[in-house]
Amino acid sequence: MSLRAPSVLPGFGLTFGFTSFFLSALVLLPLAALVVAAGSMHWSDFLAVILSRRALGSYRLSFGASALAATINVVFGFMLAWTLTRYEFPGRKVIDALIDLPFALPTAVSGIALTTVFAQHGWIGRYLEPLGIRVAYTWLGVTLALTLISMPFAVRTLQPALLEVQRDLEDAAETLGAGRWYAFRRIILPTVLPALLTGFTLAFARAVGEYGSVIFIAGNLPLKTEITPLLIVIHLEQFDYRGAAALGVVMLAMSFAVLFAINLLQSWGRRRQVRAAH
Amino acid sequence: MSITLDQVSKHYGGIPVVNDVSLEIGDGELFVLLGPSGSGKSTLLRAVAGLTGVDHGSIALHGRDVTRVAARKRGVGLVFQNYALFRHMTVADNIEFALRVRRMRARARRERRQELLRLVALEGMDDRLPMQLSGGQQQRVAVARALAHKPEVLLLDEPFGALDAKIREELRRTIRQVQRELRITTVLVTHDQEEAFTMADRIGIMNLGRLLEIGAPHELYSRPATRFVATFLGAANLFLARRTADGIRMGAATVAAAEPATDAREHEVVAVVRPEEIAVAETPAGLGGRFIASGVVDEMVFSGAVERLRVRLANGAEAPLLATTDAAAVPCVEVTRTQHEQRAFELHPGQSVALGVRRVHVLPTPLSSFTACDASATAAAALAREPLLAVLAGRMKTRVAVRPEPRLGAADAAPSAAAPFVGATVISCAPHAAQRTEWLLRHGAAEVLVLPAHAAVPQRVLIHWMDEAVRRATLAVSASVLRHLPAEAMYLGVLPEETRATRRPGLRTLLSARAEARELHGLELRTELVFGEVAPELARRLAEAPAQMLIVGVTDLTRFAERFGPLIDAGRWPVLIVYRGDASSGAPAP
Repeated sequence: MSLRAPSVLPGFGLTFGFTSFFLSALVLLPLAALVVAAGSMHWSDFLAVILSRRALGSYRLSFGASALAATINVVFGFMLAWTLTRYEFPGRKVIDALIDLPFALPTAVSGIALTTVFAQHGWIGRYLEPLGIRVAYTWLGVTLALTLISMPFAVRTLQPALLEVQRDLEDAAETLGAGRWYAFRRIILPTVLPALLTGFTLAFARAVGEYGSVIFIAGNLPLKTEITPLLIVIHLEQFDYRGAAALGVVMLAMSFAVLFAINLLQSWGRRRQVRAAH
Repeated sequence: MSITLDQVSKHYGGIPVVNDVSLEIGDGELFVLLGPSGSGKSTLLRAVAGLTGVDHGSIALHGRDVTRVAARKRGVGLVFQNYALFRHMTVADNIEFALRVRRMRARARRERRQELLRLVALEGMDDRLPMQLSGGQQQRVAVARALAHKPEVLLLDEPFGALDAKIREELRRTIRQVQRELRITTVLVTHDQEEAFTMADRIGIMNLGRLLEIGAPHELYSRPATRFVATFLGAANLFLARRTADGIRMGAATVAAAEPATDAREHEVVAVVRPEEIAVAETPAGLGGRFIASGVVDEMVFSGAVERLRVRLANGAEAPLLATTDAAAVPCVEVTRTQHEQRAFELHPGQSVALGVRRVHVLPTPLSSFTACDASATAAAALAREPLLAVLAGRMKTRVAVRPEPRLGAADAAPSAAAPFVGATVISCAPHAAQRTEWLLRHGAAEVLVLPAHAAVPQRVLIHWMDEAVRRATLAVSASVLRHLPAEAMYLGVLPEETRATRRPGLRTLLSARAEARELHGLELRTELVFGEVAPELARRLAEAPAQMLIVGVTDLTRFAERFGPLIDAGRWPVLIVYRGDASSGAPAP
């Protein structure tokens, strides 16, 4: 007979230990190393690196383009997910499988492919050129690449949520006199909002960390089309490990801030619903 | 009339889910659409709500044609089986949804909401979220929400399906009360016959997309017109009996029918005996003359108020025939007895008893059973297993007898046995099928079905009669067939080319045929009038699409083979000939 009181959650000790070990070894430890590496810099050097004009420009592009890409994906991902969950049409399975393709492709391949299509003389680029729209080697191209590679995250988080919105809810709204737009705004959107936010978060996180596909289409002009991950690599190529680490810490902090804010927003939404109940 | 449906049809992938349904529901009536799952009742309800379009026919609410009007403009309230409440909204917001859409002022909204919550006995629950309520309470909220905008019609789609028995009962009473108080026309869809009985002013029973019968609950229970309604609405023992001048002959016994006969000739009928109408006694003498058969108690189940028995009928030539598809099954009748009857005569399994009937209801259906007939017993048995025949007999819950007739169709031969041809006689589409058909008709068969091998279940049944004298019989047989098939019914009238200029009489016939089909048989008929020769016109329409069937009524067998030979011998569609000759039709023609 064991003297230890039996736990309410059998196996909790083992699984919790395993979880914390894995998190520490794979996530926290490397991140700590990054901070430590940056911490060995002198304060003024650190500031000089992270506040250089080139760095500031890259933040703006990295975070701005990522936010834009995530927003586009939330809108178009919603439509895609809607089409896939609501309609039965030939080729639906194929399209469903295509969604995951950006997951599987090495991102560099996506970048090269996009460049081929959108370059000045590419398949689509040549028609946009006369209109004065240049995609490759501008911020537009960066956004396009980020949109492509983060698209699956938005679609895949929205799909199960949309499946859950019963047809009956829309039917009920319709018989009660609501038009389509009204029902969408008042019934469907509120129901899938948590999933929309999660989709945005995941897509944004993926886009911020992207490197491979962007460097091909961006052209990498300092101050204009240079993303922060690229700047970090440039620092590394010059053997400036500390500078790279410093930029890494900034990215880490900003990403964490954004993700945390979205998380707060979600739990605030949930709390508000529960409060309304009492 | 609050709701008027006129020949409403809806197809999914070519199959009619709702098949030519016409219906009128009065003001303040609670109408229950009852049917098994997949019978099209929910689709019909959604069509009335405007959530599903219809392919054919029209829907009117309070005299306003709304067939093409969007759901949100129809002024109906709909309650779903799974409540379909808006989970992110409070009870108050849910109920006020329809009022907000209509931009009603907050104060008026609040007043209406309080009124509705009082109506469904949920006062003070305004600020709860749906997930904090029990299933029964959620459904009450759904009812209140559906009534908020004062709809003219309330539609309930299996509203008690997800609730347990106790709550269900309570909610039924609430809904009935609300419905009476508001005097709102209500349609309730359910598959639960008890629910239909307790709620309905009138019940409409659907099967295979067709509205089979409409009537008050007790009417439908005591006088069903169709096998399906007889067996779906409560339990029923179906017997194959013979109607004679003295009454209904079931086996050796003859009993009086509950209703007078409409057809003078002696013929096979389907008799319905409810389990509670069967009396059980120790000896035939104890039954007071109503004895029909003896049997052995096979199974006894106690179920509260009544006791359910299964009594195996004793074998013997004089035992009544049970109408069942499965010839191998032990013939058993179901009997229920009240506590009082149990005390008077206690039973135990294995006991021999005498059975008597108290009340027999005869179905008006002209197709009582099938007899597969061929030159050899093996061929006839193979014919009896034909898929379409099996489907029909299975759905009609009737028997397919086998009758070898070695000289089938031979001009100089008489039938091998003296026994008359009972029910519809089925023959295969072998060579000389038309000749065989004529032979059978001349020797007393009233209906002959010529069945091509592996015939598909028809999607359209073409109906035609050669003479107005056989119209009634043809319509009755067609209705009987069509009740068991998800097919469209279409009457094709053919007028001689010369009469093209004066087509008026033809049109009148057409309209009265349609009215008769609807009134007497609950069968909705499409009608079409063409000019030309009968056989070629029928053949042309049959060739239009696959999976069709032809029903033809005839009174005169002269030139039969010449006229119908090509249609019958083509072997591409089942042909059912309904023959009503003159009074001497039973005797072979010279």
